[in-house]
Amino acid sequence: MRRRAALLATVALVAPLAACASAEAGPPTLTWYINPDSGGQARIAQQCTEESGGDYRIETALLPRDAPGQREQLVRRLAANDASIDIMSLDPPYIPEFANAGFLAPIPQDVQQAVTQDVAEGAIAGATFRDELVTVPFWANTQLLWYRKSVAEAAGLDMTQPVTWDQLVEAAAGQGKTVAVQGVRAESLMVWVNALVESAGGHVLEDSEADEGEDVTPDLDSDAGRRAAEVVRTLADADVGGPQLANANEDINASMFENDDSAGFMVNWPFVWPRANAAVEAGTLDPSVVEDYGWALYPQVDEGQESRPPYGGINLGVGAFSEHVDLAFEAVQCIVDPARQAEYFVTDGNPPSSLVAFDDPEVQEAFPMADVIRESLQNAAPRPQTQFYNEVSSSVQRTWHPPRGVGPDTSPREADELIAAVLSGEALL
Amino acid sequence: MSSVAGAPPALAEDDRPRGRSARSGAPRRSDRARQEARLGMLLCAPAVLVLVAVVGYPILQAVWDSLFSYRLTNPDAREFNGLANYALILTDPIWWQALGVTVLITAITVAIELVLGFGLALVMNHALKTLRPALRTAILIPYAIITVVSAFAFLYMFDLTSGFVNSWLPFVADGKDWFATFGSAVSVIILSEIWKTTPFISLLLLSGLAQVPGDLAEAAKVDGATAWQRLWRVTIPNMKAAIMVALLFRTLDAFRIFDNIFIMTNGAAGTESVAFLAYRQTIQRLEIGVGSAVSVLLTILVALIALLFVKGFKVNLAASTRGGR
Amino acid sequence: MSTARTKVWWWVGGLLIILYCLFPVAWILSLSLKAPSDLDNGSFLPTQVTWQNYQLILTGQASDLFLPALRNSVGICLIATLIAVVLAALTAYAIARLDFPGKAFVLGLSLAVSMFPVISIVTPLFNIWRSIGLYDTWAGLVIPYLSITLPLSIWTLTAFFREIPWEMEQAAQVDGATTWQAFRKVIVPLAGPGVATTAIIAFFLAWNDFVYGISLTSTEAARPVPAALAFFTGASQFEEPTGATSAAAVIVTIPVVVLVLLFQRQIVAGLTQGAVKG
Repeated sequence: MRRRAALLATVALVAPLAACASAEAGPPTLTWYINPDSGGQARIAQQCTEESGGDYRIETALLPRDAPGQREQLVRRLAANDASIDIMSLDPPYIPEFANAGFLAPIPQDVQQAVTQDVAEGAIAGATFRDELVTVPFWANTQLLWYRKSVAEAAGLDMTQPVTWDQLVEAAAGQGKTVAVQGVRAESLMVWVNALVESAGGHVLEDSEADEGEDVTPDLDSDAGRRAAEVVRTLADADVGGPQLANANEDINASMFENDDSAGFMVNWPFVWPRANAAVEAGTLDPSVVEDYGWALYPQVDEGQESRPPYGGINLGVGAFSEHVDLAFEAVQCIVDPARQAEYFVTDGNPPSSLVAFDDPEVQEAFPMADVIRESLQNAAPRPQTQFYNEVSSSVQRTWHPPRGVGPDTSPREADELIAAVLSGEALL
Repeated sequence: MSSVAGAPPALAEDDRPRGRSARSGAPRRSDRARQEARLGMLLCAPAVLVLVAVVGYPILQAVWDSLFSYRLTNPDAREFNGLANYALILTDPIWWQALGVTVLITAITVAIELVLGFGLALVMNHALKTLRPALRTAILIPYAIITVVSAFAFLYMFDLTSGFVNSWLPFVADGKDWFATFGSAVSVIILSEIWKTTPFISLLLLSGLAQVPGDLAEAAKVDGATAWQRLWRVTIPNMKAAIMVALLFRTLDAFRIFDNIFIMTNGAAGTESVAFLAYRQTIQRLEIGVGSAVSVLLTILVALIALLFVKGFKVNLAASTRGGR
Repeated sequence: MSTARTKVWWWVGGLLIILYCLFPVAWILSLSLKAPSDLDNGSFLPTQVTWQNYQLILTGQASDLFLPALRNSVGICLIATLIAVVLAALTAYAIARLDFPGKAFVLGLSLAVSMFPVISIVTPLFNIWRSIGLYDTWAGLVIPYLSITLPLSIWTLTAFFREIPWEMEQAAQVDGATTWQAFRKVIVPLAGPGVATTAIIAFFLAWNDFVYGISLTSTEAARPVPAALAFFTGASQFEEPTGATSAAAVIVTIPVVVLVLLFQRQIVAGLTQGAVKG
């Protein structure tokens, strides 16, 4: 940016502010755009800088908190051919858009091999576009079904066996407890809807890799889509979603699950575990609450049909306009080292994409549910891999919100129509 | 955006500088007059150039961009499509809903602020000298505070997890989620907007109050008019100009509402305003063409409102400044 | 004039106004002093006052986000204010003292610009800035901030300058003072307060900006505070940053409160100057 600003002699008034000497001594600096975490990525950057023995220096730059915001920031810079983006932490659903626009440097074959070794299926699928690995899986997230043992027991649910959404709603309604889901009109709602549709055996999009918006075929108005809408509606109608259902995000639900007397069940990412333990350590949460925490695989939509839990996490992409592509890939390989992933899981609560990292004794100790997370990651279904993901997700959020207004006969059809109209340029969003 | 526009000083047609009559008028000094005119224009030039460059050029660019189908992540597919973006917007219910929300928020906030601001102005006008500095300081704080900060304050106040409002209000269920439905969400947005901008209106009205001739009110009092009659027959007619100026500025400001919506609902529950719609098309969706068209439409609307006030309601921006000539 | 009873009522009214104005500020202050576990306690006050939110943003994990933003905001707003006031002073001087055609045009233009919806020029600016490399730089914000600060400065300063008895300058020169002395001894004291007030109000406006801040920046290189406020995160990416946001909100409100406390009389005069006098 300094270099570019220096070109701007025309803006004589203000140019001196931005322009300064661009000569820098020492090893090349790689800028890594990271999503906010608890400081783990910054630490890894430090470690890899030291390990490189002076080959490169990684500096981190912070992106916004929510995934759509992260995408916005990066796309805006990349569209300007910004050479200052070397490595970026990418939320998987936006990867196709980046790949399609040519924002990602192609991954050398040997690197591809190295970084897919012992990596969860879901994570590899999320890093791939048009059969090509375009990003490097870093950490992989998935949602579990969290429950209060006491509530499940009182309802007579056998949690060692897979449970269905209907069972949960019934069990919660019977005791005046909640089934916490992310009902807020945001990306997390799309995460839920996609998991429901996939678990019912369907997909949000028919052929997600289409080039032209007109060719993308939404498929929510299908048996699976209608079934998913039924689950949402049943949950809302049974009044088990909690008072804040229409605005509930991951954090509100995690907080309710800790403190509220009505806490029963919740689908959420594993961060809820360190969150609760930190509260116990701070003395603000009774240890008996955490002892009451139970976990299981994501609920099924139809009994007997394996659920497809949400898949999230972060992959690493190398900027196509970076001046140090080779070094960047070296650094990426350093970052995704399984031992580092394991450490990152323990410190920041974000699960590894590397399956071997789960065997780390520290991981097993900090996350007694590590094996369930690993299993969940193997079953997890990514969100639609399309370059129009932002449009698709926003359309679903618009038509499937609030949960109380969702209907099997309306929301799936409206979503299909809106997606089609938006992608063919016939509607705003 | 409730950016707090400063008060509009008088825009006088007969913009004759005062206290220097000695230098103007005489024809034989035309050389000197010409020199003076040149100097005057020279001094104004930098500011005018900056204003034109910062606003004029981008808006022309927006008009141009609005004629294209152009998505930032797909620049190769950029093509001229005439007025298609405008047709798309004007036939889409989303636009009309956003416009409806904007008009609703504008109408309610401005109406309430006018009444409330008048009350504030009356109190300040009558407040004792001892209280006046404290009042003035207090009233400037909402005016000067960052809109985003006030939006966060109201968001956290009404929020189910961090807020206290539900436990304070006796008729509200403890589990009421204010941001779940349109009515309550928009009420909180309006409340925050009112809190932030009423002081500005009240200061304008206060200066209007100062122009009401005291002897008129006194005479009406002697004639046996009640306080209420005096307010309606004497005070308000005499500060009509100040009221209209305040109205114009707040209306235009409210029409641009963005910050509060962005922070509190991010457009959920049907609370999207026109400015927010423009932001979402361009910055979030990166649809430069459609987004520019929304921006151009918003600009046209703002210009129409200004025109309506100035021509329709005959707001003479100069009149408010001449003590109601 | 007024009886003791009505006097009491004006007092009550005044105190109510003060309460009204300060209540949300007090709330965010109280929120910023709550411990994380206290944030959801549903009451106005913290059960125990803690400074940990301030530590978080000033020295802790969130300081990487907050401190650069604070520096950006202060720097960018000061520069935008300075440029605006200098340009406006030239313009206002010309309008107040000189006879030339186009005065109404200059005033009308700045009025039109100040009414302009900021969001409408963000899109084209974003595009232009990207192509000439001003995106995410200080200059890239200073320039659009002028569209906010300059029109207001022109109006306010014009109003102030029209009140100045400029004849005194000539009188001083007649009395033997040099032009420079006349300027320094007579004009500066007369025009100074108006310029200072205008600068404060212009600074408030720039300080308040949000749309430009979130649209034209992407890193801590230029991101201003209002935009950064929307960027805080909790202990993990899914946790709400209520405490950090509140603490940062309080810190960015401090300069505003200080300026208001010091200059309340002048600011009120500046805000209403144009509307009252001409």
